[in-house]
Amino acid sequence: MSTIKEAELPGLGKKFEVSLDNGDRVVIVIHDEGTREVYHFPEGEDDALSSVTMTDQEARQVGSIISGSFYQPRLLEKLETAVADLRIEWLEVKENSRVAGKSIGDLGLRKNHGIIVIAVIEDKLRGRKGHARINPGPSYIFTPGHTIVAAGIKEKMDLFEDMLQKGHAEEDGS
Amino acid sequence: MSSDIILNLGLAFAFISLAIYISNKLKFSSIPFLILTGILVGPHAPEIFGFSTAVVQRTESIDLLSRLGVLLMLFYLGLEFSAGKLAAAGLSLFKGGTVYVGLNFLRGLAFGWIVFQGWAEAFVVAGITGISSSAIITKLLVDLKRTANPETEFILGIMVFEDVFLAVYLSVMSSLLSGGGDVEALEIIPGIALIIVFILLVIVLGRRIGALVEPRLPVKPAETFVVIVFTMLLLTAVLVETIHIAEAIGALLLGLVLAETVHSKRVIQFITPMRDLFGAVFFFSFGLEIDYRLFGDAVYIAVGAVLMTVAGNVITGLLASWIAGYNSKRGFNVAFTIIARGEFAIITASLAASAGVNSTLPAFAALYVLILAFISPVLAKNSRNIHQAYIKLIQLITKTGVSEG
Repeated sequence: MSTIKEAELPGLGKKFEVSLDNGDRVVIVIHDEGTREVYHFPEGEDDALSSVTMTDQEARQVGSIISGSFYQPRLLEKLETAVADLRIEWLEVKENSRVAGKSIGDLGLRKNHGIIVIAVIEDKLRGRKGHARINPGPSYIFTPGHTIVAAGIKEKMDLFEDMLQKGHAEEDGS
Repeated sequence: MSSDIILNLGLAFAFISLAIYISNKLKFSSIPFLILTGILVGPHAPEIFGFSTAVVQRTESIDLLSRLGVLLMLFYLGLEFSAGKLAAAGLSLFKGGTVYVGLNFLRGLAFGWIVFQGWAEAFVVAGITGISSSAIITKLLVDLKRTANPETEFILGIMVFEDVFLAVYLSVMSSLLSGGGDVEALEIIPGIALIIVFILLVIVLGRRIGALVEPRLPVKPAETFVVIVFTMLLLTAVLVETIHIAEAIGALLLGLVLAETVHSKRVIQFITPMRDLFGAVFFFSFGLEIDYRLFGDAVYIAVGAVLMTVAGNVITGLLASWIAGYNSKRGFNVAFTIIARGEFAIITASLAASAGVNSTLPAFAALYVLILAFISPVLAKNSRNIHQAYIKLIQLITKTGVSEG
């Protein structure tokens, strides 16, 4: 993890110095009037290699892009947001999943596990533009290839994740 | 008659706008441009082909606005200051800052005494030459894209340190000069002690004093808020005048008190545009006063003071940053950046002139600020090259030393 140093710049604003794992340093200066300056110091260098100056509005936009609000990197299999004990995860229904073909109501997700399905993104695997269904009803049937966005406490979510992935043996047995 | 007053004011503001516009285009501080414009269009303006460019008169209304400008600038200085910020700055800044401010002041005092042969003048000159302009230097750091550098924290810390020093200095100066040069030590010492005790009290007990004022300020309607703050400012100025403290100091002290309340950010928001507006009038009207034909000795004094400031500042700046634990490269950046002088040099000179210390002081201060305004950005920009030259010089000296040995 990166380390962040904070320093007061009286009359100017505040400075945040982030040391990255690769040795580079990123320095962000937030001016009192809202302007942001971002400097890039390569490893071992005393002088900044480059810098950008942004208005308050621009900085907010860039900030939310970096934080991944608009686009989730494909490399990360699941996006995990942990707020205290609550987890919101993006999980894919696997081909041979135990829950494939069953509906939300069948499984009693909310009643039994306290898990709420926030949204379902369909047809992700087929390369078409994902079609999202927000807040699906209890009659929604889990289909392999769909991505489920669900919220719940940590233990239950781990369980749910298992349900979506394995279940191969169980299905064979029945 | 009333239309004439408005005409004069309109002309004054036209020139003020022009000066600020040009200075922004050239990426320069506006202060020297405002003074210069004041000199060129004021009552002592030059005559070109028989036409005098003296188009702006120094009227009562301009005087009033410029006086408000000084009040607002010092009020703002107080507001910006916070004891918490100073405490957070740490020990290295405290040591470096004390050395820097102390040595600079002593150097100014010595220079002033040598030139003017009088303690009152020496004290004023020390103030003019000792205190850097935080406005110019902050702007310089932003323009040079050095805000992210480690030494910038130190530079800005010194600025805060100087502001504290300035508060004490101005209070002492105002009581020194209120005697009109005829100084009876016993008479003024209680006054000075009182102000210093008050400032220390505000710094130590600031939050408590603020807590007394805080609930009594109505916040909701912006109109009420701004009117009440402005009234407090004016009444404080009058009030302190009755106990022989300069009105500017009253504004500063009020700022210090309000800085510790939750309203400080809001007050700053309201005050900043007013300060910019009236502050500009102050610098302009400072120029109106100056007759360039009477510069005479002031030129030599100003040039001497500039040389002394640059040399002295480089030494004290290097020393201070060495004490604070920065390497020589950082030290050079510090030393060559904090040379700019501006608003407070002019305020000091103007306060001294109004107390009747020495008539050459305003001209000296104007020239001094003017010259430094042009020199200091160049020095700051090239601090890196100067450092490299210094390294080469050191190498040359050690090499020749070795070969001789």
